[in-house]
Amino acid sequence: MSLHTVQIIHYVALGVMTLVYVLRLRWFFRFPAAKERQPPSGTGSVKPTASIFYSWFNVANPLGMESFRKHWFLYLQFVVFHLGVVAAITMSFVIADFAGLMNHRWVVLTFQILIWGAFAVGILRIIRRVGSKYLRAISSPDDYFSLVLLTVWFGLAASAAPYGRPDLQAAGNTLLIAYYVVQTFFLLYVPFSKISHYLYYPFTRYYLGKSLGRRGVYPMEGGSA
Amino acid sequence: MISQNSETRSHKAQMVLDRFEKKLNRQMVGSLVSCVHCGLCTDSCHYVLANPGDPTYAPAYKADKIRKLFKRHFDWTGKVFPKWVKAGTVMTDEELEELKDTVFGKCTNCRRCTLNCPMGVDFATFNRMARGLLVSVGVMPEGVATVSKDQWEIGNQMGVLPEDYLDTLEWMSEEVSEELGDPAAVIPVDKMDADIVYTINPREVKYDPRSIADALKVFHAAKANWTMPSEGWDMTNFGLFSGDDDLGGAVARRVYEKTIELRGKCLVMSECGHGYRSTRCEGPNWAKFDIPFEMESSVDTMLRYIKEGRIKVDKSKNPDLVTFHDSCNNARSCGLTEEPRELLQLVCENFQEMVPNRAENFCCTGGGGAMSMTEYTPRRLKSAVIKADQMKATGAKIVVTTCHNCVDGLNDLIRHYKLDMKVTQLVNLVANALVWE
Repeated sequence: MSLHTVQIIHYVALGVMTLVYVLRLRWFFRFPAAKERQPPSGTGSVKPTASIFYSWFNVANPLGMESFRKHWFLYLQFVVFHLGVVAAITMSFVIADFAGLMNHRWVVLTFQILIWGAFAVGILRIIRRVGSKYLRAISSPDDYFSLVLLTVWFGLAASAAPYGRPDLQAAGNTLLIAYYVVQTFFLLYVPFSKISHYLYYPFTRYYLGKSLGRRGVYPMEGGSA
Repeated sequence: MISQNSETRSHKAQMVLDRFEKKLNRQMVGSLVSCVHCGLCTDSCHYVLANPGDPTYAPAYKADKIRKLFKRHFDWTGKVFPKWVKAGTVMTDEELEELKDTVFGKCTNCRRCTLNCPMGVDFATFNRMARGLLVSVGVMPEGVATVSKDQWEIGNQMGVLPEDYLDTLEWMSEEVSEELGDPAAVIPVDKMDADIVYTINPREVKYDPRSIADALKVFHAAKANWTMPSEGWDMTNFGLFSGDDDLGGAVARRVYEKTIELRGKCLVMSECGHGYRSTRCEGPNWAKFDIPFEMESSVDTMLRYIKEGRIKVDKSKNPDLVTFHDSCNNARSCGLTEEPRELLQLVCENFQEMVPNRAENFCCTGGGGAMSMTEYTPRRLKSAVIKADQMKATGAKIVVTTCHNCVDGLNDLIRHYKLDMKVTQLVNLVANALVWE
């Protein structure tokens, strides 16, 4: 299979994923939103926008939750892992459509640093998921498989990065092809797995922020001081 | 309607699944589909911290007991590949009993895990929903059944009879008017057009009438135009704990309708975390009732009286070091965290903050109706070690809280862990600090 063919299949998979996501959201919005009758309360801001924005972006604040502060290394891993996801996805489009950018050594290096970092976190996460009694108790086969799939994908993406240059692409590098094949599978698998959590994140947090904002809980202030 | 395996499923299990669908709304579904099993919620739970090494107390583990039903019956992947995502169903009454043990006996719905979840999974909300499903088929701890029955039939959750309630108000009126030497210092009952309709927790009538007397002193000192209703006076609501929205709506409606009947301007709730949350926040939703009057906690009222100069207080009358325990319902579900502190600083000389505090505070372990579920008492008291350590570290001899349920929970753990502390409420401190002119 040529790289070009894999890249086309990859775009088809992207289309399928988008379609499934649309159906998922249609399913989600079939459930009614609860009506809120309570009058606004509390000392915090009750402006709906402030609490909703707080709810959405609190995850970006390393001090925002006790769970982040207590587990700062896990939080750091979370950041590195998700930066790696963004980098590995972006790189697939760059190689396919803006391959010239891969001639710049710093572009390749940036992708590699971000993605290898995520790969290392993937390994740490696998160890934690298998080693922790608490995580084993809550983990499903999907949890293990998704993590392994992403880690393999990171490894392939980081290894294939140096071969993304237009002149090297023509050689049909096996690593590049493997990277696109795994990414294609990944795109098809994601909507049916827990990896699709990011699809629901804005909505789950929107409703939580709206509700807790009206009750004066969000935005949160103090707590451990 | 869930038809799968319905021929072999017990009637109760079938009913639970059928009713599950009706309970689902977008907020709930968001929480049910979003968990990534990251485990960050694990040690936010006092049960986990007090039971190291036992994963069955972990919030995500407990949540999955409910989530598996959602996945199996409502979510695509779970319907097609149930084992792949740990989807499952309930077939027998024994399985419902197991679920009861988790949702009633291993969680106080304190919402601490919710605020520590990066995804915003509101476990406490769907745990309450699961309680409601079980209650609807009669699967619940005996205490929950008893208290719910009392609140349905007698109108309050402690089975206080109308004559006992009115006798207590009269008794407190006599005590206070004698103490102050003022015959006008009495509780007005069913007074029309009052600025304040004051509602209480039946625990005050049964075990702590002193708090009613103290409230009378505060209102009297402020020359408030207030009243207490002869009916619809119980602002607590067991529907919050049992997950029974019908009970929640009926109880809240009773209080609202009485306030309207009396043409009261503001409904004030005495210090009670779940009562405040039920009446102020959730009640209008359960009862589908748009509230035409103001509602506030007595903490707000007392603070306003001091700020407006309607009452004068002398903090030197409360010289001992005190600490403050945030009720989960007040702090994590109603945002009532700063007002009690402001009031405390005005009526106490020495205040030591507990760590962590406000919305990060730990549950007293008596929340979520746990005090009424005696079968789980050993488990509850074991988990209370977290709160006990937190209180001990303050060095205070007095712990103040704005919740009657917490008063009982804290007193229980003080006895169990032999702490040299006592529990009091803000109304007691304010009444004690009053300067009479």
